Amino acid sequence: MAEAYVSVQDLDFHYPDGTPALRGVNLEIGTNEFVALIGQNGSGKTTLGKCLNGLLKPSAGAVLVDGLDTRSRGIVKKMATRVGYVFQNPDHQLFNNTVFKEIAYGPRNLGMDEAETRARVYEAARVAGVSESIFDEHPFFLTKGLRQRVAIASILAMRPRVLIVDEPTTGQDFRQSLEVMNFLERLWREEGHSIVIVTHEMSLAARYSRRTVLLGHGQVLADGPTREVLSQTDTLARSDVLPTQVTRLAQRLTDLGVRPDVILVEELVEEMVRVHQRHRRAVG
Amino acid sequence: MGAAGRPAVAIAGLSWTYERRSEPALRDVDLTIDQGEFLGVVGPNESGKSTLLYVIQGLIPSNFNGIWRGRVELFGKDTSAMSGLERAAAAGLVFADPEAQFTAMTVEEELVFGLENLGLDHRQIELRLQRVSDLIDLEELYDRSPYDLSGGQKQRVAIACVLAMEPRVLLLDEPTSMIDPRGKKEIFEVLRRLKDTDHTVVVVEHNLEELAALADRVCLVEGGRVRPPLPAGEFFARVDELIEAGLQPPQVAQTFAELARAGLYDGPPPYRFEPAVSAAREVLSHG
Repeated sequence: MAEAYVSVQDLDFHYPDGTPALRGVNLEIGTNEFVALIGQNGSGKTTLGKCLNGLLKPSAGAVLVDGLDTRSRGIVKKMATRVGYVFQNPDHQLFNNTVFKEIAYGPRNLGMDEAETRARVYEAARVAGVSESIFDEHPFFLTKGLRQRVAIASILAMRPRVLIVDEPTTGQDFRQSLEVMNFLERLWREEGHSIVIVTHEMSLAARYSRRTVLLGHGQVLADGPTREVLSQTDTLARSDVLPTQVTRLAQRLTDLGVRPDVILVEELVEEMVRVHQRHRRAVG
Repeated sequence: MGAAGRPAVAIAGLSWTYERRSEPALRDVDLTIDQGEFLGVVGPNESGKSTLLYVIQGLIPSNFNGIWRGRVELFGKDTSAMSGLERAAAAGLVFADPEAQFTAMTVEEELVFGLENLGLDHRQIELRLQRVSDLIDLEELYDRSPYDLSGGQKQRVAIACVLAMEPRVLLLDEPTSMIDPRGKKEIFEVLRRLKDTDHTVVVVEHNLEELAALADRVCLVEGGRVRPPLPAGEFFARVDELIEAGLQPPQVAQTFAELARAGLYDGPPPYRFEPAVSAAREVLSHG
């Protein structure tokens, strides 16, 4: 694991009515990771995401970002350049009447002058795939996928090291989902960000994330390389998560020699070809 | 066409352009849906899938402005000549967002609302609620506010409200797209039960793995064009075409398409999970 940039220490969180949402969570996230947070509804994954950038403050324990405690005073501005949070519904975060103003809002708020703000807007828009031709349009009239890109661009304009994206593919069709995920992968691979996705889509977590954290009932049930976590069928079941079809299929073939930790279609094919050839040699 | 007589839905030469749009939402659609059939409708966002459901229900053209050409029949009757009540009795529509159709303070009032509008008396209403609860049991939620439920419960209420009107065709527009995984499971269970009834079911759904377990036939909608429906086995066998169209075929079908390319399998790829397990064991057992 990379050196910790975000450090979650014995974190408890309960909502104002007393409902516990997180209990004793310990977690470290480095500067260039691709992490999936998974778990059933109510498992605490969105709450944890919001604790990582100080949107929610610990009830007990601590969250340190770049050495800063998220409970300290004046943390909001400091957090903006460190950990950005993109809401599941981009409409919860878009409130300006043009795309340009939306993306410029963060840098302006951080006290940047107009020249620097413009530079940041153009850069963030380019990286997020938001064309200059829509800078004057009202975000409300864009497609959901484009609104989400604008939401991401508006966070990227503050250049946070870590980007948390809650359910990046909800309501999108498969092609649009792949576009969003490929984009996040590029931010991770080429721009050096850490990406944390909160997701229900196991096939996308399997393909894109390198590390997976499984939450259940407010606790970390598993944390490790995605392949390991997504093939622990029994552990996943504790948070009502079903492995992907290929993993389930592979696990019905282990008695014939197939590895149980297959998480991608092409891996299962490769594995079946291997077992088939070995079998043929043995017979022949 | 089955022995049951005329088709549930018959669309001929239909094109529809919404007011103030330059491109038609649907163009040159010919589609026949048999009585009792379970039809899956798939395709990218904005391709015309929802519009197709509105057209079948007759909401288009009666509640929308636009340019209409062609003919749509429900059980042999031209929808443009049917009253709203007649259409509601023939085909009911369930939206992606269940809240979009709630108006009452409790689940029970919500269920009863449409039935009172039909002018049914108390006894008839009781009877209908009883029949609905055989498919979707909501009694323990009757006193709750429909807004105060989980996503899956909300959608079950929304489906029950439509079922209570006793339409012969049930149209569902991405009924699981806005709810969490547990809710999705509840809704797919409802769809499984509906499959065993006499209802004709048309469901727009992105999750092809779930759809594969339910649909008799599936049709692809792309850029306003509706391709002829294919039997599920034939449809899901076209793995490359589905990927090309921006869809995610069931992983087991993808796996067998690749195995076929590698020369380890021939024949139509299994597209449901259990048959895929058997076929895979077969492949590995007979080197």
